[in-house]
Amino acid sequence: MTTRGIDYASLSLKDALDLAVLIEEEAQERYEDFAAQMEQHRTPEAATFFRLMAQNEAKHGEELAARRSSLFGTEPKAVTREMIYDIEAPDFDAARAFMSPRQAMKAALASEVKAHAFFVAALPALKDAGVKALFEELRDEEVHHTNLVTAELAKLPPDSGLSDEDFVDEPAAQ
Amino acid sequence: MSATCEYQAKDYKSDLKPIWCPGCGDFSVVQGIYRALAAIGRPPHEIAFVSGIGCSSRIPGYTTAYGFNSVHGRSLPIAQGIKLANPDLLVLAAGGDGDGFSIGGGHIAHLIRRNMDITYIVMDNQIYGLTKGQLSPTSQKGRTTCTSRYGSLEEPVNPLLYVLAYGAGFVAQASPTDLAGMAATIEEAIRYPGFAFVNIQSPCVTYGEEAQQIKGLKAISENLTALGHNPADRLAAMDLAQHYGQKLHLGVFYRNPEPAPTYDGLVRERQALLSKDAPPAENILDLFIKK
Repeated sequence: MTTRGIDYASLSLKDALDLAVLIEEEAQERYEDFAAQMEQHRTPEAATFFRLMAQNEAKHGEELAARRSSLFGTEPKAVTREMIYDIEAPDFDAARAFMSPRQAMKAALASEVKAHAFFVAALPALKDAGVKALFEELRDEEVHHTNLVTAELAKLPPDSGLSDEDFVDEPAAQ
Repeated sequence: MSATCEYQAKDYKSDLKPIWCPGCGDFSVVQGIYRALAAIGRPPHEIAFVSGIGCSSRIPGYTTAYGFNSVHGRSLPIAQGIKLANPDLLVLAAGGDGDGFSIGGGHIAHLIRRNMDITYIVMDNQIYGLTKGQLSPTSQKGRTTCTSRYGSLEEPVNPLLYVLAYGAGFVAQASPTDLAGMAATIEEAIRYPGFAFVNIQSPCVTYGEEAQQIKGLKAISENLTALGHNPADRLAAMDLAQHYGQKLHLGVFYRNPEPAPTYDGLVRERQALLSKDAPPAENILDLFIKK
């Protein structure tokens, strides 16, 4: 989780909204990629969950984009996807073939915690009051999402106790 | 802060879905490549991406560049042929540690001595993953695999020392533990005017050992800039490179401050020189006729 070339002290509300949209977009794409990986590796339950997460991220992104549009219309963007790295997107190595729904949810939970940490860490550097308010709002949303995922996790039956290793073919001499 | 890039990372992402194991380090490597290419800003049709055989060698297909998933260990000769035939192309070569340092090991030395303007990205996972976990040239001594039941007796190849010793002008190492650093390192390698080598420690989630996964790699990571390393100092780079396998130094080990002329550039010059006295194309066969 990192950013490149973003000066938080001079971040305007327009830039901050664009940044928030990009963060959701990155997370949405990663969840879609994870869902595709799960489908490819015959892990349909985790795939369904990751698709759901992708839809959620898309919904949040659209809400933020609508806000940006109503406030700033079509003013050009000053932030790009190339400036953000895995803010709310789950880490690339969080996916595993045959992962259980519980493991998939834990990966999502870690991402929400990570996004929360990002907004918390960025807050002290912000100067603009509007940006600060937006980041506080986004930080609090991440807490809400974390609580939602935690509640869903609690409803799941315990895992089988099998590890990734149980699904890997034994090395065979060639 | 500006959004002046004509191309974005997504412009280099193909529609083909990677079939790597979920969690594979190569997912982040391809993202690093997309971002580096976006920063360079060359359109996909001006890029040729050649690979050998192996899990990581699937990578050209996941980009929108012209790609060639070629023959085991032969990405570098093919990349050189492409560069000579069309020097205006941005040529990338990629593959795994087995493809690069075992099957294709003999080719690296010749590419380095020619100093062709090609960037070579090795996704080093210390194992043959595609064929289900055999000992590779960079596997640690003592490693147990299906081809080393009682532990490997061999010392691993050190890819960094290997290319530094042959005189590569740009040598760097990256890892998915630092995505931003990896994208920046690949970008810098592509921008270097000559042969550039980037060794990427890319974990194999299926056959890799615990210590080689992201958590293990993070524990031994050290950023070369933070260490105060001077990338113009080749001997210091060789000294640091000796820690391969024990420490994960990230960043540029060596960048020749005075890059040597490239072979492709010299060939162009030679062609220009000889073309002055060359017979017209319609008389070219006269060269082969005794008078």
